Amino acid sequence: MNPVYIAGAGMTRFGRSEWPLMQLASVASLAALRHADLGDIPVDSVVVANMGAARVNQQTALGSALVDQLALVPAMAEAVENGPASGASAFKIGCQAIASGMADVVLVTGVERMRVVNGLEGTDFVASLSQPEVEYIYGVTLPSLAGMFARLFMDRFGVERKHLAMIAIKNHENATKNPYAHIQQTVTMEGILTGPEAVVNNPPIAEPLHLFDCCPVSDGAASVVLVSEGVAKKLGGTRVRVAGIGQATDTHAVQEREDPTDLKAVRLASEKAFSMAGATPKDVDVAELHDAFTILEIAESEASGFFGRGEAHVAIERGETRLDGTLPINPSGGLKAKGHPVGATGVAQLVELAWQLRGEAEGRQVKDAKLAYACNFGGFGNNVVATVLRREDS
Amino acid sequence: MSDKVLGAKCTSCGTVNYPSRPVCRNCRNETFEPVEIGGEGKVLTFTDVYALAIDYETRYLRLAIVELDDGLRVTGQLLDDDPKLGKRVKSTIGIVREPGDKPILGLQFVPA
Repeated sequence: MNPVYIAGAGMTRFGRSEWPLMQLASVASLAALRHADLGDIPVDSVVVANMGAARVNQQTALGSALVDQLALVPAMAEAVENGPASGASAFKIGCQAIASGMADVVLVTGVERMRVVNGLEGTDFVASLSQPEVEYIYGVTLPSLAGMFARLFMDRFGVERKHLAMIAIKNHENATKNPYAHIQQTVTMEGILTGPEAVVNNPPIAEPLHLFDCCPVSDGAASVVLVSEGVAKKLGGTRVRVAGIGQATDTHAVQEREDPTDLKAVRLASEKAFSMAGATPKDVDVAELHDAFTILEIAESEASGFFGRGEAHVAIERGETRLDGTLPINPSGGLKAKGHPVGATGVAQLVELAWQLRGEAEGRQVKDAKLAYACNFGGFGNNVVATVLRREDS
Repeated sequence: MSDKVLGAKCTSCGTVNYPSRPVCRNCRNETFEPVEIGGEGKVLTFTDVYALAIDYETRYLRLAIVELDDGLRVTGQLLDDDPKLGKRVKSTIGIVREPGDKPILGLQFVPA
């Protein structure tokens, strides 16, 4: 397999956007292309990640649309839909094109514009990824799956609501240092859990999860430029290598899993990614996890191999995952505060990590980060892509 | 509108596939007989969800995953004012969703 490098990374600010879908995608793409500074080296292929445009924006064939907007015709182009893991899936497919020798430069852009529909419609569009006959018909939504998961997980491992609040507080604080984040506002334990206003500020969404345990609904786009070793050499500078990618699936319906608190697909994807990278979770300097719900940051950090089962909430109490801790998790603010434009999320995680490895993360820079890890969690854990990135100084 | 919830029992190894699928998840056999899903069990986990999908006009829904006594786990609506982890419940069939004028029947659980 040929080596693959990230030569450029860019994104739009996440949040509510008035821009049409293709404008979001174009702005992020152009930012990544400028960052890569390819000169006259041509883009061979464009891969777009998106989940809901067919339903909420009435637009399909997004690869063809973006390649035209960017005036990159006749480059290859396609779109990838893999639920909330669309972003890292598209990234993986872009990497495969370069690893196989079929392309030298691939632009991967994730985009979602989902605030154009109301809350019920938006929640329903995401819920359409659940199993139709045994989940969806009962009114299952992603928050409900997270709520049921959280209750079981918290009961089994002694995780309390204060631990979930600590995740929210940390990620909101990180997001205030990220100009691309949807929500740039700190929150306090009093404000969301222990104080008299908490009941009003932080209503239940899917018990035991409350509003500040859930990511916002965002519009946005994120983009990376992948290049072959030959192109990376021409470009020079700090190189970010795609050291490992792992992907695994689990049963469509959550009820069929042997142990519903075990994020098996995360575990398997992570093991594959680390094995391919020749690294272990202990080597990681910075991680972006898929905290669509606060409980998921805890559970994924264990399943990814950073902490033992039932140990992550203790590490959070000790501040280990803060920006100044031993393993900073979600320096970008995570999905919780940076936002979650579904199809863009997996790419945005890798944008943040590429910036971290290049030392370009400004106020939220993790000092001397060399190895980075991302977990993009699709379905409710039924399709997971894990990625390990490594800085190579040339 | 079916008044029974059905799974697919593998004719080779006996595993109940629910949801049903054309290939048995245990032995990859491809022949099944229909089997009715339901009975008594205990609440494995539950939630009151306020973030609802379309087709619901209620303020929240109480959903649960129930572990039936035969070991099968099923998702359904929990009709119980005092839900607890591990509580004994039994299944009934009721309207679980009403898209337009086409009600869908499914599993609901009440205290056993």
